Amino acid sequence: MGKNLVSSMRSQLLTIAIILTIYGGLLTAFRGTPATAISVIVMFVVIIIIAEKTKRLQDVYDIIGSHSKAAIVTALICAALLPLLLGNNYDIHVAVVAGIYALVALGLNFQLGSAGMVNVAPAAFMGIGAYTSAFFSVKLGISPWVGTIVAVFFSALFGLAVGYPTLKTRGYYLALVTIAVQVIFGLLIINTPWLGGPNGISGIPPYSLLGVSFGKELVIGNFRLPSQAFYLYLVLIALTLTIMISQRLWASRIGLAWNAIEEDQVVAATQGVNVAHMKLLAFTLGGAVAGVAGAMYGHYLNFVGVDDFGLAKSLVILCMVALGGMDNVVGVVFGAVVLTLVDEKLRELADYGMFFYGIILVAVLLIRPQGILPRRMRRYKLLQAGGISPLLGQRNKTY
Amino acid sequence: MEVLFSQFINILMLGSTYSLVAIGFSLFFGVMDVVVFCVGDVAIFAAYAVTGLIGFTTLNQVLVGGDSLSLSAITIMIASLLTGLLMLVLYKVTIQPLARKGSHMPLLSTIAAGLTLREGIAIFYPQGRNPQVFPSLFPDTYFFNNSMLSYRNVIIFGTTILIIVALYLFVSRTKLGISVQAVAQNRDAATMIGINAKAVILVTLLIGGFVLGIGGSLLGSYYGMIRSEMGVMYGLMGFSAAVVGGIGNINGAIVGGLLLATVEVLMSAFVSGGTAFASIASFAVVILLLLTRPEGIMGQKTVENV
Repeated sequence: MGKNLVSSMRSQLLTIAIILTIYGGLLTAFRGTPATAISVIVMFVVIIIIAEKTKRLQDVYDIIGSHSKAAIVTALICAALLPLLLGNNYDIHVAVVAGIYALVALGLNFQLGSAGMVNVAPAAFMGIGAYTSAFFSVKLGISPWVGTIVAVFFSALFGLAVGYPTLKTRGYYLALVTIAVQVIFGLLIINTPWLGGPNGISGIPPYSLLGVSFGKELVIGNFRLPSQAFYLYLVLIALTLTIMISQRLWASRIGLAWNAIEEDQVVAATQGVNVAHMKLLAFTLGGAVAGVAGAMYGHYLNFVGVDDFGLAKSLVILCMVALGGMDNVVGVVFGAVVLTLVDEKLRELADYGMFFYGIILVAVLLIRPQGILPRRMRRYKLLQAGGISPLLGQRNKTY
Repeated sequence: MEVLFSQFINILMLGSTYSLVAIGFSLFFGVMDVVVFCVGDVAIFAAYAVTGLIGFTTLNQVLVGGDSLSLSAITIMIASLLTGLLMLVLYKVTIQPLARKGSHMPLLSTIAAGLTLREGIAIFYPQGRNPQVFPSLFPDTYFFNNSMLSYRNVIIFGTTILIIVALYLFVSRTKLGISVQAVAQNRDAATMIGINAKAVILVTLLIGGFVLGIGGSLLGSYYGMIRSEMGVMYGLMGFSAAVVGGIGNINGAIVGGLLLATVEVLMSAFVSGGTAFASIASFAVVILLLLTRPEGIMGQKTVENV
């Protein structure tokens, strides 16, 4: 009992330490000059590379994995404290946007990271969710929550529609089909008047729960909670759910099937994987998640416009998955957060911003093509006392 | 009737420029097996190079008459050579280090390289953020009175034909060209029979860059002005043309380019409010073709042996 408690505490402490480091690092990076930001990111990457080389990274996974429930509870408590710790409204705003993009990136991860299908249209999926919810809330006067659910339905359907042709196409053909879909989507939302045209849809109502509108600040006595904090909690809840789903899928036969399809589609089929179903699942699920993110985006900003769901944004989301680490849930979330911060930071450089963005991308791809947190190996261990839970990717197996 | 004829000329013009990018793209993909996403931006680089170089010559006041034609030709050739060198640099920096590390990486790195190139042009070219007027390189006269056959149109189309024929002869008649075909078919087998695959790839990059340079210059001449963002759409159209026509196939690139140009010109000319939907229609046609005939119009069905 004592040993269990000690190792459980070890796992929790490690989680807290990691979270604090990341939080501190990201906050310094964000609040400082662009040069500081880049050095912090470089430091992170160097730490991870060293951890990998000395095999410590797997140890970290093991320690946390051995008491994953405790670690998860700790992480959730830290996440719940986040909006209260971030002093500034602007910081909370960036956190909300980063969280939303993390959701979209997780959706793309099913297709690109796990199954190896290059989908250049994640922004279009997000846009379908955003525009659907906006349309239903603004033009048809339906409650934002219902609008979000409808948005999920439509974006999942869209995912299915885009996924169906992929059953016949491979590699760059698939990329081209998705590029065509993305470009068509971008052009359609500019040119369709009942979708707002070039002006987008504005005046989207915020969510409200139990009479409290998310759009306004909450004041209880001396305690002020900025309106963005509501959205941050909402996004964190959605993110937690999606991370749990992604992890479970990764650890399950479905995750294995996706990886098998990426390695060799024909062999996967001969081993009994229903390739068509798995591919469609990746697209539909990814579409649904991106749709939720898009709907939240619309209700948060009270506006959806044409710039946010175009090809450029799709490429950014693609980079989030590729640079964060393909098929690695933590990596993808981290990549999304980092790239959102970099995007905001580089905006300060006005004219030169996108130029440096491109250079940074090329540099990271050259130095670390497998992404910041690379693919994880699944470990199958014999059942032991105090076995390891599947939630962090370790599986019990009895022979 | 005249309207139809003028649209037909437009199709030939636009189709020529798309074909050139598609050819460059096909060449790169055939030899390196890498999707080079930044070909559009590379072509626009050439257009900017031409605009910049013309400023250096003393003859930029009035460009009519025969003498200036050779000057224009030389400027375009210099710009295209520079573009070839640019392709080499891009290859060394973004493609070669990543060539064997998984199929997605070179795609992403070329996307990032295209972004950097685009932004670099906008930043470092004087007034780069604003549209630039492309110098009128060719005299504005027409062949027959009042017909649509302007000197400029004929030169654009003629140059494209010239390049295509030259490429075809190179690839099928010269030893170097046949080596290119060999490396495109099977790089390892070509190495085994003594072909220096690395040298062949470098040569292909130079030639492809040259073709892209000419394509970009002709595109600038067609539109009369250039913007740094033009490369995105241009590259996408070239990419689509190459895949629709059948990747790795010069004939396919031409067919694909003409097809996409046809859809675009007809949509914008004959459908009301068409210009916006012209691009949508082109990409819709691309999707349709990819679903029904994924190997491209002139491609061969690849059979996988398991």
